[in-house]
Amino acid sequence: MIPDLQLSTLWAASPANLVLPVVLPLLAAFLMQPLARVAVPLARLLGPLVLLLSAAITLNLWLQLGATPFSLTIGGFASPLGILFHADGVAFLFALAVPVFALLFWPGTASGGGDDRDQGARRDALTLLLVAATTGLALSGDLFNLYVFYELAAVASFGLVALSDTGRAQIATFRYLMVSAFGSVLILVGIAIVYLQTGTLSLAQIALLAPETLHNPIGLAAFALMLIGFGVKAELFPVNTWVPEVYAGAPARVAALLAGLVSKLAVLIIIRLLVLAFPQPEMAQIMLVLGLLGILTGELAAWRAKDFPRMLAFSSIGQLGLIFIAFSLGGELGLLAGLALALHHLVIKSALFGLAVRWRGSIEALAGAARSSPLAGALFVLFALSLVGIPPLPGFWAKLLVLIGLAETGGALALTVLLLILLATAVEASYLFRIAIRLYQDVPTPVAPHGRRDLGAAALLGCVLLAATLGMQPVADRLGDLAEQLNDRTRYIETVFPLHLAVKD
Amino acid sequence: MIGFNLESIALIGALGLIVIGALGMVATNHLMRMLLALVIAEAGGNLLIVLVGYRVGGVAPILGVGEPGAAMVDPIPQVLVLTAIVIGVGVQALAVALLLRIHRAYGTLDLRALRDRMDAEVAAAAGVAPDASQEAPLGARPLPPVPVGVTHGAGRTGPLPALERRA
Amino acid sequence: MRNLASLVFAGGLVFLLLALGAQLALGTPPMRVGSEILAVAPQEVGAANIVTAVLLGYRGFDTLGELAILFAAATAAGVVLGRRRAADVRRDPPGGEVLRTGADLLFPLLLVVGFYVIAHGHLTPGGGFQGGVILAAAFFTAILAQPARHLSHALIAWIEGLAGAAFILIGLWALLEDGHFLAPLLGQGVMGELISAGTLPFLSLAIGLKVGAELAGIMAHLSDAEAPDA
Repeated sequence: MIPDLQLSTLWAASPANLVLPVVLPLLAAFLMQPLARVAVPLARLLGPLVLLLSAAITLNLWLQLGATPFSLTIGGFASPLGILFHADGVAFLFALAVPVFALLFWPGTASGGGDDRDQGARRDALTLLLVAATTGLALSGDLFNLYVFYELAAVASFGLVALSDTGRAQIATFRYLMVSAFGSVLILVGIAIVYLQTGTLSLAQIALLAPETLHNPIGLAAFALMLIGFGVKAELFPVNTWVPEVYAGAPARVAALLAGLVSKLAVLIIIRLLVLAFPQPEMAQIMLVLGLLGILTGELAAWRAKDFPRMLAFSSIGQLGLIFIAFSLGGELGLLAGLALALHHLVIKSALFGLAVRWRGSIEALAGAARSSPLAGALFVLFALSLVGIPPLPGFWAKLLVLIGLAETGGALALTVLLLILLATAVEASYLFRIAIRLYQDVPTPVAPHGRRDLGAAALLGCVLLAATLGMQPVADRLGDLAEQLNDRTRYIETVFPLHLAVKD
Repeated sequence: MIGFNLESIALIGALGLIVIGALGMVATNHLMRMLLALVIAEAGGNLLIVLVGYRVGGVAPILGVGEPGAAMVDPIPQVLVLTAIVIGVGVQALAVALLLRIHRAYGTLDLRALRDRMDAEVAAAAGVAPDASQEAPLGARPLPPVPVGVTHGAGRTGPLPALERRA
Repeated sequence: MRNLASLVFAGGLVFLLLALGAQLALGTPPMRVGSEILAVAPQEVGAANIVTAVLLGYRGFDTLGELAILFAAATAAGVVLGRRRAADVRRDPPGGEVLRTGADLLFPLLLVVGFYVIAHGHLTPGGGFQGGVILAAAFFTAILAQPARHLSHALIAWIEGLAGAAFILIGLWALLEDGHFLAPLLGQGVMGELISAGTLPFLSLAIGLKVGAELAGIMAHLSDAEAPDA
């Protein structure tokens, strides 16, 4: 039976191989600790190698098969019975972003050094688990499978946050764990209700059955529960109390991955649920209000923050509030604005946390930091300008789309939100430029410059941002296509159930 | 729709457990009790899932057991609940590990006392903030000095009972 | 202030849940997917226990995720507690002659029961998770009765790593043979016999070993880390 195994089929452009970017990091994570007992250098290399391999497989599949969305059943069981992956443009984009960002912020060779063999292997294994989980979140098309990957991402991130061995980080991890685990209970209740109403867990079939079964107060309650539950990782307003402590206490590269990647994938789940199963105005309204509260509390707290990582954490809450407002607008414009903001935040916040590897501690102590490391200072100014939304930079266009969407919606609520966003932007500008000025102060003994790797990652992301500025038109067109695909409910259903074509409408 | 049949009583139990857990988590300041409240809430969530697959008069979904042809309950929620229980166990075990670690570092699990300690550490870090001290293991690092003029929480100042435990 | 906000949040949640509870129609689930699985699972997977057929067949990918979560929790517990060397821990005194003899007697029995439950997972209630917990319990009793006893972290790491890898490799083998990750292989055999349902028993065994190693590992970390009560 064994001889005719052909390993080359694993590279072939077959849809079934889309499980590999999830499965290979898992395999490597399982084998990491035994391997580290045999050959430490090999174990150190294993993580980055597997990430490169997953990125290559994903890219290959995207280029060869990504033209039209497709789905694959895992285990070969026909669609609603088994678990399925659904791969469209957005899914591929995030599935590719996961290994790439994990490589950029690979915690492997932490500048601190000195950690023993076991702890290093555990750290690498946890990072790989986080990668597998977030890739699964991007691809999965099954409600409970999404929950499983969400939990895996959560547990892996607990371990990564606890890596920084201070008592404060442990307490932050514990509170994060409690909020997150309670959110999971809410998700489970939401899933139970959805299952009771529809009798299925496949997102496509839920979408098909939603008009009769979920567009009622029970469905609204189920969505509210899942919104709060998945909102924990997405830093949604009432359940984001863990954010500042965790991002300030965790190693900065871990914070970069959590604030950049994990939060975006949690948002993606919520958007998929919103588009596929719960496209009613009440649901969007809940998101709008929670997003507004998020942006207000986040930006004000960031303005008052006294140290750099905490300031980034609060500002991240504010940014995600804006993303929720954008997605709550609905329609292609809203989804386009939300996607643009999400990608923009993914690039910028990861890079800023990359800079925070060296710039920990208080803002006062950063005086003159740009003089000892001019590139880092220039990058900070670039990112700050784009975050605030200064015209040629991508941040401006993304924010403008939200404002246009709000203006088009009209009504007292939308216009109030619009004004408050402008107000929050002013606050944002004030604290970011306060730091920029501090960075360029003339002081006798500025802080030490950055390590080459973190500066390299941030510089690379800065280049991505500049490239997007120059090629704004093609980027906008491409994002428009993605938003259209994300918004197309019927197409999602047809991709999974080609046979139901006739049944639907 | 709530009458006195089996599933209604179980539903009241499930929702009641979740509610008790939720209230317990916000009502206590002791981290271990908070964890126990979470365990109760999780039990409620799991019970609800089992309940969702229950079918009046259904038997366990195992072939060859019981009379053939009897209606079986939905097997999927049973699988989901198995998964949810295992996930819950993992998270709880990790939480206990964290509690042990916190107790070893601070000698207390009372949230108010811990928060006072954390505030003091944050203030010290913002004031002095030598880069390396944040990463150094806690035991090797001198306790942060209590800044002058800072009062902790409800007017309490000075070191906490935690200090003697670490010697 | 924060407590007030949490209380309001909890109150809102209570109201939501109770309002919801009054509306749910329990006892008559739609069972769209459920009844279809009940109908086709005996032919497609060949396991008498349909819960196991769903757990390892239809939703096998969830089970892999679940294993990974348990692994992540054990690894994270290692991160939290693993810095302390096992040698310099002050342990509780041994539990005495009666407890120790009892634990020694229980140890092989629990192992046998554990492996029995694992091996019959596709036939009767039970399976990898339940059996794995029983296996771990065998080690729990040993450690609790004699805290000075030390579980080898190296051995645990090997078992959990290889068992997890075995689960994935069975899945990848199916991907190469059949074109689908974790598709059932090896034919189904006669339903109700010990050797039946294709690769399911092997997956059960991998799960059982991994769960047992995972939980025993967490227990070993916790007992190493036990803070002596002054």
